[in-house]
Amino acid sequence: MSTERRPDESMTLLTTMMERPLDAGYQEAADRRIAAGLPGATSTRTVLVVVLAILTGFLFAVAAQSLRPKPTAAAAVKKELVTRIEALQKHGTDQEAKVAALGKQVRDYEALALQQSGGTDLTSTIKDLEVQAGAVPLTGPGLTLTLDDAASTDTGADAGSRPSSGFQEGRVTSGDLQIIVNGLWGAGAEAISINGHRLSSTAAIRFAGQAIIVDFRPLSRPYVITALGDTQGMQQLFDPSFAGLYLSQLTDEYKIRSILAGSDSLTVPGDSAARLEVAEPVGPPVGSTGPGATLQQGTSAPKRSAGAAPTGTSTSTTRSPSDTSSGATDSGTGSPASPTSEENPS
Amino acid sequence: MIPVLGLVAGLAVGLFLDPSVPVWLQPYLPIAVIAALDAVFGALRAILDGIFNDKVFVVSFLSNVVVAAFIVFLGDQLGVGSQLSTGVVVVLGVRIFSNVASIRRHLFKA
Repeated sequence: MSTERRPDESMTLLTTMMERPLDAGYQEAADRRIAAGLPGATSTRTVLVVVLAILTGFLFAVAAQSLRPKPTAAAAVKKELVTRIEALQKHGTDQEAKVAALGKQVRDYEALALQQSGGTDLTSTIKDLEVQAGAVPLTGPGLTLTLDDAASTDTGADAGSRPSSGFQEGRVTSGDLQIIVNGLWGAGAEAISINGHRLSSTAAIRFAGQAIIVDFRPLSRPYVITALGDTQGMQQLFDPSFAGLYLSQLTDEYKIRSILAGSDSLTVPGDSAARLEVAEPVGPPVGSTGPGATLQQGTSAPKRSAGAAPTGTSTSTTRSPSDTSSGATDSGTGSPASPTSEENPS
Repeated sequence: MIPVLGLVAGLAVGLFLDPSVPVWLQPYLPIAVIAALDAVFGALRAILDGIFNDKVFVVSFLSNVVVAAFIVFLGDQLGVGSQLSTGVVVVLGVRIFSNVASIRRHLFKA
């Protein structure tokens, strides 16, 4: 202790804490032992020390065990759900491939049966209708339009968590996709798929939460719209159209990224969900007229707005020439002698 | 060396048995751990200084733990438990750091 006042004497608490962290008791005990003629330090191998060491280790272990954040039940459930979703998605994809293969087989058998039955050759008609119904994959020139959320939009970090606000303006919405897809149909696209999902005449583009759903299958960004058709013509028609202006507006105002590219060989898959819903007799009973009187039912299908609403039933292939029921359509316009036009305003 | 073995044995026993700590005791565990660490590093420094004393070690250990737990308990009763916990952690943390610095000077002369 110096007799002079230390300048920081008023801060004794801090100075003792900072400068003398060691318990003063050690020094005092050592001084006492030295005064008594013993060595200053005691052994570290006394029972007391060992017992206390065991106690310390025990304390550390127990504290670590009981305070470590345990995986919450919600996280476990989420992980479990993710696993199940992934497994089921894989299962679904496998089944789709199987359906496609079996469908091809069925079509082959149908063609064979038609040939063998000796009826009129409907193969080309069926092919045509299948193309227009979106049941088979198509390849040809076309446009690829890639849409993505604005770069500033928060993506990924909180994916899966509940959205805090309802709408983020940098996001591509189902409405955007509807308008653009309709614009592409209007520009003369013959077949459209989004992220590998074929848009048939019954396909709907909708939303659930913030996810865009096409044909009841959720899509993830980026959204790749493939439209088959005359590349040049489509582009010329699309750009000045309402949809094209809308798209450029999206890009300018909301920084939504879009890339439009033409290509000579694009493929859109078939709509695996297509199934036979309505069957019509092909004109009058077999044999009395030629194939010229076949159905026109599919022709308007691609022009219909595939996105706005799920209107209309699937214009499926006609495969039962012997079916004589003429009242199969809702509108009742079909008569055995006239080309039927199948529209189902539901 | 024997105390180190004891520490490891205690760790092993604690990990193996995994006893369930009553809920009312859990808020005091982290503070107790910090206080115990402070006592242990103080003892290490004393050993290196050549003034280690087992009784002082035991007493400082127990009093550290008890006083730290008591401060947190008092804080809980007064409604400032988390603030007082922070204070205890800061004070003991400073002590641990300067003790470790002293040990480092002893061991590495740096």
